Amino acid sequence: MVRRILSYVFIVFGLAALVLSTSRNAMEYISIKRDTTAWWGAYPCLNGDLVSLSYLDAVKRFNPPPNHVPLKKAEHSTSDNIVLYLHGDSYTYHLSDSIFTGTSAFHYIDRNHGLKFTLDTSKRNVLVIEVSERYLRPYFSTLRMLDEVGDTTKSTPAQASIYGMPLSNHYASILPSFEVNDLFNKYINQNLQCNLFNYNFIIPIFEYKAALNYYVFNRASGNVVISKDKNFLFLKETVSLTDAGSSYIPLNENDIQLLVNNFNVIYKHYRDQGFKEVYLSMIPNSASVVQPEGYNNLIPRIQSDTTLKMKIIDAHTLFKTEPTLYYQPGDTHWNSIGRQKWIDLVNEYLKQQQL
Amino acid sequence: MTFNSLQFLVFFMVVTLWFFRLKTQKGRIWLLLIASCYFYMSFIPEYILILGGTILIDYFAGFLIERNEGSTRKFWLITSLIANIGALAVFKYYNFFLGNINTGFHLLGRTMDMPFLKIALPIGLSFHTFQAMSYTIEVYRGKQKAESNFVVYALYVMFYPQLVAGPIERPQNVLPQLKEFRAYDWDHVKEGLARMLWGFFKKVVIADRLAMVADRTFGHTPESSSVALFIGAVFYSFQIYCDFSGYSDIALGAAKVMNINLMENFKQPYLSKGIHEFWSRWHISLSSWFRDYVYIPLGGNRKGSLRRKINVAIVFLLSGLWHGANWTFIVWGALHGLFVILLVQNNGVLKEGRSAIVTTLRVVANFVLVTFLWIFFRSENLGSAVGYIQQIFSFKGGTNYIGISVVEFLFSWAMIIIMMLRERYIESHYISSNSRFYLYTTLMVLICYFFGVFVENQFIYFQF
Repeated sequence: MVRRILSYVFIVFGLAALVLSTSRNAMEYISIKRDTTAWWGAYPCLNGDLVSLSYLDAVKRFNPPPNHVPLKKAEHSTSDNIVLYLHGDSYTYHLSDSIFTGTSAFHYIDRNHGLKFTLDTSKRNVLVIEVSERYLRPYFSTLRMLDEVGDTTKSTPAQASIYGMPLSNHYASILPSFEVNDLFNKYINQNLQCNLFNYNFIIPIFEYKAALNYYVFNRASGNVVISKDKNFLFLKETVSLTDAGSSYIPLNENDIQLLVNNFNVIYKHYRDQGFKEVYLSMIPNSASVVQPEGYNNLIPRIQSDTTLKMKIIDAHTLFKTEPTLYYQPGDTHWNSIGRQKWIDLVNEYLKQQQL
Repeated sequence: MTFNSLQFLVFFMVVTLWFFRLKTQKGRIWLLLIASCYFYMSFIPEYILILGGTILIDYFAGFLIERNEGSTRKFWLITSLIANIGALAVFKYYNFFLGNINTGFHLLGRTMDMPFLKIALPIGLSFHTFQAMSYTIEVYRGKQKAESNFVVYALYVMFYPQLVAGPIERPQNVLPQLKEFRAYDWDHVKEGLARMLWGFFKKVVIADRLAMVADRTFGHTPESSSVALFIGAVFYSFQIYCDFSGYSDIALGAAKVMNINLMENFKQPYLSKGIHEFWSRWHISLSSWFRDYVYIPLGGNRKGSLRRKINVAIVFLLSGLWHGANWTFIVWGALHGLFVILLVQNNGVLKEGRSAIVTTLRVVANFVLVTFLWIFFRSENLGSAVGYIQQIFSFKGGTNYIGISVVEFLFSWAMIIIMMLRERYIESHYISSNSRFYLYTTLMVLICYFFGVFVENQFIYFQF
C-alpha cells in the first residue's frame, strides 16, 4: 500500500516537473515569484552569470570587488525630438531614456520578444540595433527581425515569401495551426535543473563539484571555459570551433556577405518605414577582445565591408583597447564602465542626429 | 531527449512507475507507445510523421506479404523496402549524392545546380528503418507472423530505449515480449538500474571527458604534436566505445527494468585478437543485420573465395555508408572490409596465437589498427583524416596540449582501466544483495555526479 501511494506521488511529481518545465509562462511566473534569500530560495546570480553557471563564487579572481559606476544622466531640453528605438539583448536591458542624449522618447525592443509600434512621423525616429557577437550569426543569418519588429501601419512582408526559405526545415509548416513546439521546450533541461535543484540548500554540493574541477582538473564545470591567462571565464559556445556564436569558428567570405546583405535589407526596410537613421552596434564576445589570438574577426570584417549601408557604432575598436577594464571576469557581459563607454559612444551619434 | 539529461531521468521515472501500476498489457503497450512518441518528438517533433508513415506502410506490407504468394508477395516486400530505403535516401543521402554529382559535372567543365534539400536528418533514422526492414523481411521469409495489433507493431519500431540508437532488434525477440504481461520483479529492476548506472558512468565520466581531448586534437591538428594527435586518436577510440556501449547499457538496462530483454550490442571489442573478431564484438546488432540480410543472401561464403571477398567488400561498404553520408565513412567501411579480406579471408596472415604474449600483441595490434581507422570516422573530411595521420607519422613537434590537464589525463586512464577490467571480469550487472545494490547505486551516483562531465553532449550514434 505504501509502495503504491509512493509510486503515485512520484508519478504526479515527475509529470508536474515536466509540465512546469515545458511551459514558458509557468517558468516566467516561477522565476519572478521565487525568493532568493530563504534557504529554499533560488541561487542568486550575484557575481556574474558565468560564475553562477560554473558555481565558482569562491574563486576571487573571477569575482573581484564590485566597481559599480552609476549610469550618467544625459542633458535634456524641451527641443529634444529624437525617438530612440533600441533593439537589443541582455547587454542593454534596464536602460532608460534619461541616459540618451536628445531623446524625447525611448522604446526598448527585446530581441526575444520583438515589438510592433506606430512611428510618430513628427519626430526624428532613430533605430539602434545592438547585438552581442554570439547572437550575431544565429539571429541575423535570417531576416526574422522584419517580421518581429515594425510599424503596424506599414505592411510588413512575410519573410518566407520574399526572402526565401528560412533556415529551419520546411516540414515545420506541415502543422501550421498546431504549435507543437509549445509541447517541446528546448530549454527543458535548464528549466528542470532550476525547478528541481536550484535551491540555496543544495548549492554547496554544486560548489564542491565546481571546486573539484577547478582545483584538481584545472577547469570550470559545464559550459564555462577558463581563459588562457586564467583570469576570465568564457561561455563555451563563444570559444568552441563549432558554435555559430563562437569567436573562433572559421568563417569564409560567403558567411560575411550573407550578414552584410541581410543588414542592407534591414537598413532599407526600416528607412522605408520612416526611420531617419538605422545604426548597428556589434558588441564583441569577451573572448574576441580578451583572447584575440585565433579570433575570426567577424565584427571587423562586417564593419569594413564597403558594401555595408548600415551606419556602424563601433564598439569593437573601443573595447579591444582595454578589454580587461571593460569586461567583467566572471560574466558574459561588459561591466558598468564598459556599459557607460558604449552609452557615451551612442550619445555621440545621437548628437549628430540633433544637428 | 538524450539519456544523459535530466529530462530523461524524470521521464524514465514517470514511465516506469506508471508502467508497473497498470494491470493490463494493453494499457502498458499504449503507455509505452505514447511515451516513445513523446521521447522521439522531443528531438524534432515534426519528424514523427515520417516515422509514422513508414510504420503504417510496413504494418500493412507485413499483412499483404503474409496473405499473398509468389510475385505479389515479393511486390509488397519491395514496396516496404523502397519506403524505408527511400526515407533514408531522401533524408540522409540525397544531398550527399547531389553534391558528388555536382562536383562530377564541375570536373567535366559543366555546371549542374540541382537544389539541395534544407532538411535535418531525423534522429536515429538508420536504426529504426533497419529494424522495420528486418520485420518485413522476416515475414517474407516466413519466420515471423505478421503482427495484427497495430499498437504492438508501432511499439516494436518505436520502443523508446532502443528507438534512436539501437540495438537494431529482430521481431522474433521483441514482439513476443511486448505482448506478454510481465509482473514486477525486483531482481530485474535492480539489474536494469545497475546496468543503466554503468552506462551513465561510461558516458558522462569517461566518454564525455575523453571527448575534450578528441575535440581538441581533431580541431587543432596542424599545430598539435605527433604525440598529442596519437593520444587524441587513442582517446577517441575509447570515447566512441564508451559513448555507444554506454548508450546500449542504458537502453538494455531501461528495458530490463520493465523485464524486457534486448539483444547485446557489445562484447569488449577492444579485446579482439583480429579485425574479424572485432566485428563479432562491436555493434553486434548491425553486424548481424548485414550478415543475415545482405551477406548471406549474396551467397556468403558458399560461392567460392572471390565471391566471398566481393560479398565482404559490399557489406563493409554498405556498413560505412550506413554510418553517414560522407566519404570518410565510406572509406572507413572500405578499409575495414579490406583488412577483413586481407587478414582473415586469406586464411592466415596472422595465425592463432598460443602464448599470452602473442595474444596480447595481437590485441594491441588490432586496437592500433582500429584506432587509425577511427580517424577516418571522426574527421570532417578525407583530407583532414589523411592530414591527421600524416601529422602523427611526421614525428614533428608542436603543442602537446590535449585539452585537459596532466592530472585529468591520468585520471582518464585510470577510469579507462577500471572500465576495461570491470567489463572483462564482471559481466553481469545483477547484484543479489539489497544492501550491496544500494551501496553500489549510491557510489555510482556520486561518482557520476562528481566526476561526470555535463555539457549536454549528444550520443555520437544519434547522428546515424
